[in-house]
Amino acid sequence: MIKTAVIGCGGMGNIHADRYMSMPEAQLIAVCDINGEAAERLGLLAGVKYYLSAQEMLEREKPEVVSIAVPTYLHVPMVRLAADYGAHVICEKPLALTSAEAEEAVRYCNGKGVRLFVGHVVRFFPAYSQLAEGIRQHGGGRGGIYHAKRAGSHPGQVQEWFRDPALSGGVIVDLMIHDIDYIRGTFGEAEEVYAFEHRTETMNYASATFRFGNGTLAQLEAFWGYPGAFHTAFEYAGADVIISGGTPDGESVHVRRAAASGSAPGFVETPASVLLKDPYYEELEHFLRCIASGAEPKVTAEDAVQAVRWAEAAVSSGATGLPVKLDAKGGIL
Amino acid sequence: MRRLNVGMLSFAHAHAYDYLACLQQMPEVTVGGIADPVPERTEELAMRHAIPYYSDYRELLADASIDAVIICSENVHHAEHTLAASEAGKHVLCEKPLGLSAGEMERMIAGCEAKGVQLMTAFPCRFLTPVVRAKEAFDRGEIGEIIAFKGTNRGSFPGPAWFAEPSLSGGGAVLDHTVHVMDLMNWFTGSPVEQVYAYAGTLFDPEHKRTIDDSGMVHVTFANGVFGVLDPSWSRNPGFPTWGDVTLQIIGTEGVISIDAFNQKNNVYGRASGKGSWSFWGDDMNGLMLQAFVQALLEGTPVPVTGLDGLRSAEVALNAYRSVQEGQPVKLHR
Repeated sequence: MIKTAVIGCGGMGNIHADRYMSMPEAQLIAVCDINGEAAERLGLLAGVKYYLSAQEMLEREKPEVVSIAVPTYLHVPMVRLAADYGAHVICEKPLALTSAEAEEAVRYCNGKGVRLFVGHVVRFFPAYSQLAEGIRQHGGGRGGIYHAKRAGSHPGQVQEWFRDPALSGGVIVDLMIHDIDYIRGTFGEAEEVYAFEHRTETMNYASATFRFGNGTLAQLEAFWGYPGAFHTAFEYAGADVIISGGTPDGESVHVRRAAASGSAPGFVETPASVLLKDPYYEELEHFLRCIASGAEPKVTAEDAVQAVRWAEAAVSSGATGLPVKLDAKGGIL
Repeated sequence: MRRLNVGMLSFAHAHAYDYLACLQQMPEVTVGGIADPVPERTEELAMRHAIPYYSDYRELLADASIDAVIICSENVHHAEHTLAASEAGKHVLCEKPLGLSAGEMERMIAGCEAKGVQLMTAFPCRFLTPVVRAKEAFDRGEIGEIIAFKGTNRGSFPGPAWFAEPSLSGGGAVLDHTVHVMDLMNWFTGSPVEQVYAYAGTLFDPEHKRTIDDSGMVHVTFANGVFGVLDPSWSRNPGFPTWGDVTLQIIGTEGVISIDAFNQKNNVYGRASGKGSWSFWGDDMNGLMLQAFVQALLEGTPVPVTGLDGLRSAEVALNAYRSVQEGQPVKLHR
């Protein structure tokens, strides 16, 4: 049994805690949040100790693995703190607001001898892993056209810090990064990105096209403040195959109540999947197994750094209106 | 009732067959002649409908009773045919893309103006009922100001061989399939395109023999700051349930309009075909476009989609190729 703890008791922290509780190989031992109410609520729900101070929790509980589900601008300080206490770290995406900070987080964990994993959960959604497999089987190396989008309400309605790009990174660094990591994992290294971004208090829309060496084009949209339900969509077209999917079309159960429903109170929207082991469970279980075996995960901390790099490049293209070249390492040329 | 006598000039573009069928449904229209240099594809058809057939289009234009012509020749001939028709005093409905250079299209527009005939570009997507409803919703202010567009006009590789022959088509998918949705974007914003940045490639031939572009991504920036991106690829394979799509998402300051123009469909699963297909049941855009053309000419009012509209849209596609060659965003010269 791996002893786990969760820092941050918001939407994602609740998901991590819930999955650890139902995982035979894990034992959730404590949760923590500077918001006492959130910490207490989750602590009572999970039947574990709850703390207001991460340091105190780490000191007293000595978890082997710590999930970090705090606002993005606090990721790196929390990663370092957990590493200082010798805990392996599973950090929510994006790893950091800048690639420099993301690299620093990786270096720090390496230096402390702890493993670092980042929750790029899209790789664990069966629709997307099957898509990647389908692309591979049907000659994806010869190039194709990929479209993906991710749109929902503005998370700033629930958590004010999302509205400030200096704290959240905005819709590209926070939301599009899911699809950025996915296309990097599926298509390899991109040569260039060309992007548009529009941001106001109530909406943040971005559109970015990544061009890969074999001619593959990936056109991504990310939208906070979409006036409708959260949804995702993808389509890959190659010479031999077209594969498309998305939510909510790709769901099999809808429970519709007469009363209005929406996000769980106080939580930012997250996609749900009706599976015995949902993608968050699969992701966390995979990371725990990698810790036990020493194996490389499906998505590494270095992948997470590169995803932030590509997101930075897209933000930069959106700001200048010019295409931005990416070098082989994903850096901006 | 006054009738309009319409001649059909070339059947190189397969839309001509559809247009002919539509025209024959229209009581106010006589199809007064078919001119086509390839008798194998049209002579018998003309005979069957008792329509005079000419192998040389000049003979059709020489018929003084013809009021208007519909030009469905290979793209490279659009200018010659339009100018000859205007010289002969015929109104013109020209298949898209209107022309293969801005100069050529300007000459077509000026030539028609000089002869007092109307020039309409065949953009049937303007007449799709979902598009018309979307435009009405936008005009009512339902989504505020436009911020960005995302469009697709994905299609199958065209049947006629000349589409893959640059000396006849002037370009591949980026030319063929940019213009429709580009015209819709132009129509909605009412602002000129200032900058184009595009990618083009050849990705969708399973035998890897194709040389013309069959894929791409066209990005535009309008003078008013609106951004648009459009996928014009011939990316539908024969296994796909239909020929292609026209979609346009309009992101506004106060809302979003999503158009999926051919989503009015039944799903059909046949044993014999071995695949599922989508059977469209929405309003017929070609018929509505032709009706609008005929009505404008009969009533002497301006045609609803002009030569200038055709130019504004085709020049984006042409500049897309320039951008691909230069590897950077290009400004449109005006």
